[in-house]
Parts: sequence; C-alpha cells; structure tokens
Amino acid sequence: MAMTGEMGRPGLLATLREKYFSSLGNAALSIICFSILALIVWKFFDWAILSAVFSAANGPEACKATDGACWAVIDARWRLILFGLYPHEEHWRSALACGVVVVMTVLSCLPYFWNGRSISVIWIGGFLAFYFLMKGGILGMPVVDEQSWGGLSLTVFIFVTTVLVGTPLSILLALLRRSELPWISALTGIVIDSVRSLPLLTILFAFAVVLPFLLPDWASGDKLYRAIFGSALFFAAYQAEIIRGGMQGVPTGQEEAAKSLGIRYRHRIQRILLPQAFKNALPATINQFVITFKETSLFIIIGFFEILASGNAAYGTGNWTFAFVEVYAFIAMIYFVFVFSLSRYGAFLERRMDVGDH
Amino acid sequence: MTKTAEPAITIRSMNKFYGSFHALKNIDLTVQHGERIVICGPSGSGKSTLIRCINHLEAHQSGNITVLGKALDNNILHIDEIRRDVGMVFQHFNLFPHMTVLENCVLAPMLVRKWPRAKAEELAMQYLEKVKIPEQAEKFPGQLSGGQQQRVAIARSLSMQPKVLLFDEPTSALDPEMISEVLDVMVALAKDGMTMLCVTHEMGFARQVADRVIFMDQGEIIEQNPPEEFFGNPQNERTQKFLSQILGH
Amino acid sequence: MLSAWNNIKLRNAMLQIIYVGGFVAVIATLIVMGRTNLQAQGIISGFDFLWKSTGWDVNFSLIDFSARDPYWLVLVVGILNTLFLGTIGLVLATVIGVIIGMARTTENDLARLLGAIYVEVFRNIPLIVQVFFWYAIVTRFPGPRQAINLADSFFLSSRGLYGPGLNITGLSAFLGIVAFLAGLGVIIWISAAQRFRRMDPARKTRLRWLILLGAFIVSLVIFWIGRIPDTSLVSMPALKGLNFRGGIRISTELSAMAISIAIYGGAYIAEIVRGGFNSVGRGQIEAAKSVGLTKWQVFSRVRFPLALRAMLPILTNQYVWLIKATTMGIAIGFADFFMVVSTAINQSGQTLELLGILMGGFLVINFSLAAILNRINRAIALKGNQLRS
Repeated sequence: MAMTGEMGRPGLLATLREKYFSSLGNAALSIICFSILALIVWKFFDWAILSAVFSAANGPEACKATDGACWAVIDARWRLILFGLYPHEEHWRSALACGVVVVMTVLSCLPYFWNGRSISVIWIGGFLAFYFLMKGGILGMPVVDEQSWGGLSLTVFIFVTTVLVGTPLSILLALLRRSELPWISALTGIVIDSVRSLPLLTILFAFAVVLPFLLPDWASGDKLYRAIFGSALFFAAYQAEIIRGGMQGVPTGQEEAAKSLGIRYRHRIQRILLPQAFKNALPATINQFVITFKETSLFIIIGFFEILASGNAAYGTGNWTFAFVEVYAFIAMIYFVFVFSLSRYGAFLERRMDVGDH
Repeated sequence: MTKTAEPAITIRSMNKFYGSFHALKNIDLTVQHGERIVICGPSGSGKSTLIRCINHLEAHQSGNITVLGKALDNNILHIDEIRRDVGMVFQHFNLFPHMTVLENCVLAPMLVRKWPRAKAEELAMQYLEKVKIPEQAEKFPGQLSGGQQQRVAIARSLSMQPKVLLFDEPTSALDPEMISEVLDVMVALAKDGMTMLCVTHEMGFARQVADRVIFMDQGEIIEQNPPEEFFGNPQNERTQKFLSQILGH
Repeated sequence: MLSAWNNIKLRNAMLQIIYVGGFVAVIATLIVMGRTNLQAQGIISGFDFLWKSTGWDVNFSLIDFSARDPYWLVLVVGILNTLFLGTIGLVLATVIGVIIGMARTTENDLARLLGAIYVEVFRNIPLIVQVFFWYAIVTRFPGPRQAINLADSFFLSSRGLYGPGLNITGLSAFLGIVAFLAGLGVIIWISAAQRFRRMDPARKTRLRWLILLGAFIVSLVIFWIGRIPDTSLVSMPALKGLNFRGGIRISTELSAMAISIAIYGGAYIAEIVRGGFNSVGRGQIEAAKSVGLTKWQVFSRVRFPLALRAMLPILTNQYVWLIKATTMGIAIGFADFFMVVSTAINQSGQTLELLGILMGGFLVINFSLAAILNRINRAIALKGNQLRS
C-alpha cells in the first residue's frame, strides 16, 4: 500500500481505494450503492423542494401543472390534519395541549425526574392540563366534547391515556405474575399470554364495537374510553412482561436484605424492588412507548378521527384527491419525528447503562 | 444487652427439606443472650441454611424454632417481629444501590419502627462512626470498596438495634486486605456483648471471640465446643479432617 | 378471623381462592349478561349458526366460496387468507430483511448508509399508514385498457396485478408452496440441528439435496393434482374486452397488504439480522481468521451459524407479530380472518360465539407458530450455558 504524507498516514486516494474498491465485489457494491443513493437524493430533492409547490394560493391547479410535490395540500389542509373537526377559533387550545404533551415527554426523559413521585406528578399533571385544555368548561373556555377531538390531538390523547391507565395496571400484573402463590402466578400468566397473542385490533374491536351489544346501556360508557381501556390492557400485558424482566434482573439478595431488616411486602416492592426493576427495564420500556404511539393509528379502523383518518379526509375531499402522497408524507413525517427521537434516546440510554454497569 | 435466663434462640428437632433433599437433619441448638457462636463446616453442610431459617428467609418443615421468646411458625406477625429484632449481614453485602449509605441505614428504622428521620439519622451516624466510616454517609454503595460496603451493611443492620446478629460468611467475598477491617468491627461488636451467630471460615476470629464453635457436615451438627477444646481436642473424625484441611496450610 | 389471616398457609390459600374465584366470577357474569342482552335482541346463543348459509360473499378466497356456503366455511376461508397473506408477507420480509441486514454489517460505508436509511424510514412509520399509502398507489393504477405493461407478461392495473400463472386452484397453490417451504425448513433443520452434527458431511449433503428434490417434486405433484380441468398448465394474462383473462390475479387489497408487510417487516428483520451478526464475538471471528479460513468460510462456518442462533428467538417474536399485523387488512377490505369474523358478527349477530372463535383462532395460530419456531430453536441452540460472548 503506497503511503503518502509526512507522518506516514495513508493519503485520501489510498483510503478510498481501501474502503470502497478493495475487491471486485466491494467495488461493484460501492458503485451500485452510490448510484442508488445519488438517484434517491437527487430525485427526492427535486420532487420535494425544487419542483414543489408550497402555497395553496393558486389552488390545486398550480400543483397539477408541475411534477413536483404538491405541498399546497398541506398549506390548505393542515388544520384539518392536525386538529380534526375541532372548532376553528379554539385551535390554539388543541395546539397548546399537544405542546403540553411534548414538554411532558421531554421532562420524563431527564434523569432528575426519575422517581415515582416526580414521574407521577408530571404525567398526571400533564394529562389533566391536556384534558381541560381540550375539553374546556373551566376558565371561560367553551366546552368541546370528545366527539370533536381529532387529528394529532386525538392521537396524542389516546397515547397519553393508554400509558396513564396501562402503567399501574402493568405493575399490578407484573407483581401478580411473579407471585409465589402458584394459582395466582399461573392464572395471571394465562391472561397476559392470551392478551399478548391477540392482535391489538381484535382487542380494540372487542371493546369498542362488540361490548355495547353485551352490556346494558348504563354500563357501556363512551366508545372512546372503552377503546382506550382495551389499548391500555394490551399495553399493560406487554409492559408487565418488560417490568418482570426488569425485576428478574434485581439480585435476590436485595429482597432478602430488606426482609432481614423487617421491611414488609409493600415497602419492599415500592422502595427496593420497583426502583431497581424500572431502571433495568428502561430501554425496553421506551421501546414499548414508541410502539404504543405507532399503534394509536389503529384507532382509525374502529372509527376514530385520529391523524390518519383526518389525513384521508384532507386529500379525499374537495379537489385534492391526487395529492395523497404529500398528505401521507406529512403524516409520516409527524410520526417519524416523535418515534425516531424517542427510539434514538432509548438506544442512547441503553448504551449508557451498558457502559455504567462495567 | 441484658442477659436473661431465657435463651435468645432455641431450636428443637428442626428438619428442613429442599424438595426431597434433606438439608438440615434434626438440629438441636440453644443460644443464650450475649453468646457468640461460630459455625463452620464444608460447603453444602447447611450452615447458611441454618441461620437463614432463624429469620425465616428459609422455612423449616418440622421441629420448633423459638427466637427471642416468639415461636417461628406460620404466623406472619411473629415472623415480622422476629425480623425486626434479628439482623443479618450477607456475604455479598446486598446494599441498596439506588440509595446513599445513610439512606440505606435509615430506611428500615423509618419504615418499620416508624422513627422520625432526625432520630434515625442520628442513630445511623453513631453506628457509621462505630464501623469507622462516617465520612461516607452521602456516597453511593457503588463508590465504596468491598470492605467499606460490608461495614455499611453492618451499620445498616445495627441501625435497627437488633438483639441478635446473624453473619453469613461476611468476609468470603472480600479481597484479603479488606478482611481485617471487617473482622475488627465484628470483634468490637462481640466485646460490646452482642449475641452473634457467625458462619465463617475465619478461624482466627473464632479463637479470639467465640464462646462456642459448631461444626456442621451434611446437614447435621457434628460437634460443638468452646474454642480451646474445639481446636485443641476435636472429638469427631470429620471435625479433625475438616480442621486439618482448613488449618493445614 | 384475624388470626387466620395472619397464618401464612391459610392466607396464601385464601388469596389464591379469592383471585381465581373472582376472575371466574367476572368472566361468568360478563357471559351471562351478554347472553341475556343478545336474547333481548332476538339472537339465540349457540353454535348452530355455523351451519347456516351466510348470504354474503368475500372478495378473495383460495377455495371456492359463494354466498350459499355455510358460516363455518367462510371462517375457514378467512383463516386461509390470513395464513396465505402471512406466508407471502413473511417470506418477502425475510428476503428483504436478510439483504438489508447483511448490507448493514458489511464494511462498506455506502451500503451501511443505504441500509440505515431504509430501516429508519420504514420502521418509524406505522404499518397502517404504509398500508393506506400502498393501497392508494395500487388503486390508482390505470384501468385494464391502459394497464402498465411489463414485458407483455405482467400487467399492473387498478383491478389488480396480473401475471403468468398456473391454472390450478388457489388452495393447491398455497399447499404446494407450503410443502416446498416445509422442505426448506427440514433442510435448515438438518443443516443446523445438533442431532445431525455427527453425520458424515457427504451423506448430509446428499440427504439435503434429496429432500430439496423431494420437496420440489411434491410441490409439483400438488400443483398437478390441483389443475383446473380442460385448461393448459400455464396461462398468460391477456386483455379481453374490459378486463384481463387468464394468468393469476393478485387483488389490489392483497398486493397492498403484501407490499406493506414485506417492506415494514423487512425493516425490522434487517435490524434483527444485524443484531444477530453483531452478537458474534470478535474473538470467534479472529480465531477463525487466524486458523486460515477464507473470508467466505469464516462467514459460512462461523459468523452465519452463530448469528442464526442468536437471531432465531427474536425472529420468532417478529414473525408472530407480522401474522397478527395481517388484521389491518380490514382497513382496505382484504378478507382476512378478522374481517370475515367481524362481518359475520355484523350479519348474524352471534357476537359472543364469533368473538370466542376469533380469539381462539388467533391463540391457535400464535401458539402453533411459536411452537414450531421454538422447536427449531431448541434443535439448533448451542448446548450448555457456559459460553459468554
């Protein structure tokens, strides 16, 4: 290998040759990949930015005139996509509510708040703020019922409520599952495994659509909350196994030490077991949160106007029916931002915890 | 520590099984208040199991165990009371990693004895001084050496002001240079009159401090005697064999 | 009473009885309440309805089905559709996943970058969004007369994708493919299972070729048996009038679902493959190289077998998840098991029974798939637990 440079480091040309053209196969691979990358980048750049129409001022006709992306549909319909059928003057409340949830999520990621009390305060407080901003009825804000909630705010509401209801349920299930009493452990195991083997859609369907037929009217409750409970149950079943995995990572000596000090069951769980179990289970928990956020999109199938449904309405009505790609791209981007950042954070945490353990 | 007529611990005809494996066979043992007992024997002899039965970390199947006047049976209240007054020091320390040294020590007194934080902390600091590491009070267990951690574990047990202390091979997991700092603490405790049951291989400690040395093998108590006779004149052949192995080199 | 509560044995017994009893009571109450409510609406409980004819049709079926056929048959159609879509989706996803996953483990930065882009883009967008997207694309293909023509054999139109096909029943096609896959599975088992480690390598290779040939022949035989009478074996699609005749038609719903599952599943499987290869200890690879194995031999004899064993448990979970994901077909009208059952509930009102069948069906599918894959996993797993990577 020809070495160039004063210090004996290989020159640029030599490095390139080594990395990309070291063998015939490698060279072929490099050329193919480079061409594909270049093609994708160029085509995408051209479509999304260079030839695109960004403003809806000239209506759909302006878009049909070019080959580029028709972002004008977003310009025209973003309110529908983000807020659904929420009343126009109150959109600020919907936007603020979503902002509250973003703040809530960011705060939860800071180690400073990683204890039972802080996390509960953040999530319950955030939920209440979200609920009253959306619902109104206090501080002079007019009431807007759940039926009118839609778009991104409904997606976010489903997610937060699912997590809020599902987390205590998951802790309960995890504790029952690891119980030393055989019947309790076995029965809980059957429940958890059965719920986990069903598709989420069937559970949502059962709660949202089927349950009203089986229950008398007074017991049915609102369809949205029934569906959210089904979603929370599914979340709890998966999260219970994650927490249980975390518990198994806590050395048995910890509980023995607590027992030997005379600390009783409730406090052993609360002060010794759970804090350590949650720390072990943190990366998997974040992964579960990410999955749950993606799964809120299933609510469209049981008839809720969350962001995917509002997106379908955005291009499906009026003169924008050709602009479906742009609308889906917009929705995809919204999901992507949330999901990608949270999973990156989870990966970062996992790496940091691996390092810290050694 | 008051010396009353009633023994601290009484074990009568106690048997323990793991499934079909007979781990402890017909154990008879009496421990008076203020006595220091050392239990030794080959691994698998049941020494750890025996002391773990005393605070019900393991359950016995037959026989009687009475600790501090309370019968160790199926009554949860009894078990809780016993655990309050019997402390245990583990081979692997088992400190709570997510709490500081001080928090480790005050947790149980506050939760179980319902003491206010100030009182618990004051007492805990006294015991931390006794084990000679008061300056580490705000550190986390992960920041301490093995010897320091074990001394914290002892202080943590002492903070509950137990009447009996159980030691399960407290120095076996320590690097050699740290063993003596822990043994010194245990000797000081003995001199203060604490009732102690120690499972250990440290025969020097036994000779120095023990009132009685017990040899166990395959789940039975083979021999028990004061140290001079135990080391000087072992009666049973298995005891002799064990002593030669452990003291030989 | 209080003393009884404090007794450990009694307390444990009571807790268990309360828990199990309470659970049974709740379920029983729900069922009884449900039946009363349904009866009030004039619906009789019981499974007799399974033999009544449905009165409605499905848009895709591997076997012959009409509106006159009974309910139990439509349920079978639904299950077959789910398994069919699942198999196609799983196979495609695995192919894509392996390619992208391998790309991410090469030393070539460009390949790794391309792979990373693929995975991040398609993993972070919910599957249902991708389903809707591909469905929108596929339904916007031009009509049959202006269909996109690929080499005069494949046609993409809004009525479906047409390609050359065999004139056999859908069921025999499915069974033939399953037979071939089963043969492949047996070959993998022989290659990797501990039981065959001691077998003479030449004999092993011969055995595997034999099985491959056998599976191939069995598939062909199944295809032959399933031939539609009075037609040639291969048929090509041709435009006749308003529509295509001949060849195989992949409905728009099926193609949209298959594409989405393949792409989304492929992204996840790529990560699993990458994780599997990354988990092979560097020490193993260095040892192999230092013994003088070529790059291909290091890959095929050391890296691949170890990676496979690391991947398989996680792959199992992923496959189970993908089969469950076929339920999204209902959003675009693909007649999978879930959609069939929900239509049946709508039409017949036999809510409790059908709900039970739905849940039971998925439990069975999941359990079987997991059992098969776990069996394979146990057969090829490294014995003993003394190894730490």
